[in-house]
Amino acid sequence: MKILVAVKRVADPNVKVRALADGSGVDLANIKMTMNPFDEIAVEEAVRLKEVGRANEIVVVSIGPEKSAETLRTALAMGADRGLLVRTDAVVEPLAVAKILKAVAEAERPDIIITGKQAIDDDANQTGQMLSALLGWGQGTFASKLVVGDKAIEVTREVDGGLQTVGLPLPALVTADLRLNEPRYASLPNIMKAKKKPIDERTPADYGVAVEPRLTVVRVHEPATRKAGIKVGSVGELVERLRMEAGVLR
Amino acid sequence: MIHADDGILSQEQRLMRDSCRSFVDDVVTPFIRSNWQREWDMSPGERLPGAILEGAEAIGIRTLGVPEEFGGIDLERETEVRTFALIAEEIARGDSGLADKLVQNWKVSIVIRQFAAKHLQEKWFPRLLEDPKFLLAHCLTEPRGASDRWLPYNVPEASMHTRAVPDGDHWVINGRKQFISNGFDASLYVVYANTDPSVGMLQGTSSFLVPRETPGLTITKCNETMGCRFMNNGELVFEDCRIPADHLLVKSTALASAGQYFRAGKIIQAAKNLGVGVACFERTADYVQNYVQGGRILIKHQAVALRLADMATRIEAVRSLVERASKAVDEAHPDADILCNMAKVYASEEIMKVATHALELHGGNGAMLEFGIEKLFRDAAIFLHMDATVDVSRMKIIKNMFPATAGKYAGPET
Ligand SMILES: Cc1cc2nc3c(=O)[nH]c(=O)nc-3n(C[C@H](O)[C@H](O)[C@H](O)COP(=O)(O)OP(=O)(O)OC[C@H]3O[C@@H](n4cnc5c(N)ncnc54)[C@H](O)[C@@H]3O)c2cc1C
Repeated sequence: MKILVAVKRVADPNVKVRALADGSGVDLANIKMTMNPFDEIAVEEAVRLKEVGRANEIVVVSIGPEKSAETLRTALAMGADRGLLVRTDAVVEPLAVAKILKAVAEAERPDIIITGKQAIDDDANQTGQMLSALLGWGQGTFASKLVVGDKAIEVTREVDGGLQTVGLPLPALVTADLRLNEPRYASLPNIMKAKKKPIDERTPADYGVAVEPRLTVVRVHEPATRKAGIKVGSVGELVERLRMEAGVLR
Repeated sequence: MIHADDGILSQEQRLMRDSCRSFVDDVVTPFIRSNWQREWDMSPGERLPGAILEGAEAIGIRTLGVPEEFGGIDLERETEVRTFALIAEEIARGDSGLADKLVQNWKVSIVIRQFAAKHLQEKWFPRLLEDPKFLLAHCLTEPRGASDRWLPYNVPEASMHTRAVPDGDHWVINGRKQFISNGFDASLYVVYANTDPSVGMLQGTSSFLVPRETPGLTITKCNETMGCRFMNNGELVFEDCRIPADHLLVKSTALASAGQYFRAGKIIQAAKNLGVGVACFERTADYVQNYVQGGRILIKHQAVALRLADMATRIEAVRSLVERASKAVDEAHPDADILCNMAKVYASEEIMKVATHALELHGGNGAMLEFGIEKLFRDAAIFLHMDATVDVSRMKIIKNMFPATAGKYAGPET
């Protein structure tokens, strides 16, 4: 069984990013970049399936600038077998990403595609769903548990009302949620070994996909700074203010 | 903290550093912060929970230095010391005692891979790799001193008191070693002993591989130290301890031959020290931006900001020297000896100042054990003495720069 995992290079969630002064985007100069945390979970799940003998090959793909090779390298160090970088310096919107991934899937013919449920930079939460529609495959999004059989998989999904389990025939698409697993740290010896694993390079044009944006970013601005709290004199005043000002008590 | 060095590191070095940093942030630091009592547990074996060592094991930071042919890591040798420095800094940023414990394995592995007979490497490296509790130690210091021995006076009266004499196909060792990192709980020791009392120590000292179970070797105690307490420093006594002849590593010129160990050791020492400094800075930067005094967060008081700037500047100066010195060591530059001693001694004094600022800026909280700042101060202090004192390091620098004058023997006391 072959698994394709899509990974994105994003700003490290632990660093504070700032909006560019002209409001055109986020300032990423000199910002520490890392693999999208949900994609780490996707890679980890694939590696675990390989470790228990369910999968025999893991291919990781990333669409982005040259440096995305580093993100692929991390996935290889975690246990993926080979990487594919679809190189572009353009901002690639979810639909274009899904189209490229569709072309990659048609070439690679994986049994399962795992992606993160969303990337923590734009939080679009669209790629996986669009990809499954383009491929005409079943989708199990927001997965917190994955049981893989020979011809079908069972995906436990985290939905608003609780948990829902869906059965999907293979090939199928899964998007990883936070509780699917706890990803490992790439070990130092495996980082050195990953150096020898292959990473192929392509461009979106190789797949005949145009990445020109269809959306226009109007303005990126920082959230309003939180106002300082106030001290109340008594429980009575607290209740009063919660009722009159905050509107949380009735 | 600023990290302007990214450009000069290889992709693998960056990934290894980041992996280690994540482990420290997620596992080591939370443990240290919420278990301040643990380092005062008087059963040395109980201090560090197994989970921390297992985590260290999982990311592979216990056995750097073991060659790939024995199942170790395939680090690029041309930049190995730089890599050691990067990883040592990250571990020590979480806890410097943990770093001491682990780096001793890397350093002693260098000695073993360079000098031990092939069949002994085939025996011991796999054991080291398989057993997560397996530690190595390097035994030089004796009650009658370590640092003085390293001074210019290469004469018989400065020699080690621990002696090894041949007896058939064995060597018999008698003597004592003290202040030994991992001495309390190591499984395998590299031991230096005098094998020729008629000459100076550079010509008359040999090194041996001594397994812990060897009859005649007794681990007499765990030293309780002021800092780096998660590494168990120990004392050893040798009483007619018989070592098979093939366990001799280097005959006569053991000290002069171990340059690779010593140089890498100084860099690692400085790098761990740097990690302690970075931890001081990060804790303090966070504190002064949140703690309000006189109606404002501390950092808005200019005197506080100035101290913070001083901390950052000293740290960056140490970082620059560590980088330069580790490059020199990796490239076997003729000045490598001088530079690695400079890095070691400079780091120890500068980071002590950084830790002092941290203590000062935390006010009373800085003195409280549960706050963890006094721990950083204690950990920083250890670096003044470990692996040579400040003054002895300085003398080594000058001896190296001016061998004909500063390095010349001044004659014995009459
Ligand atoms: C935490 C820790 C871990 C250690 N780990 C190890 C280890 O793993 N293996 C090991 O072999 N050793 C180890 N040591 C020992 C360490 O290397 C020595 O303590 C250090 O080199 C100082 O030697 P000393 O204790 O004999 O001090 P001394 O040499 O007795 O120094 C006392 C004072 O005299 C000064 N002094 C000494 N000689 C001269 C001189 N000729 N001229 C001017 N001043 C002089 C020194 O600078 C110092 O101020 C460790 C020590 C510590 C604290």
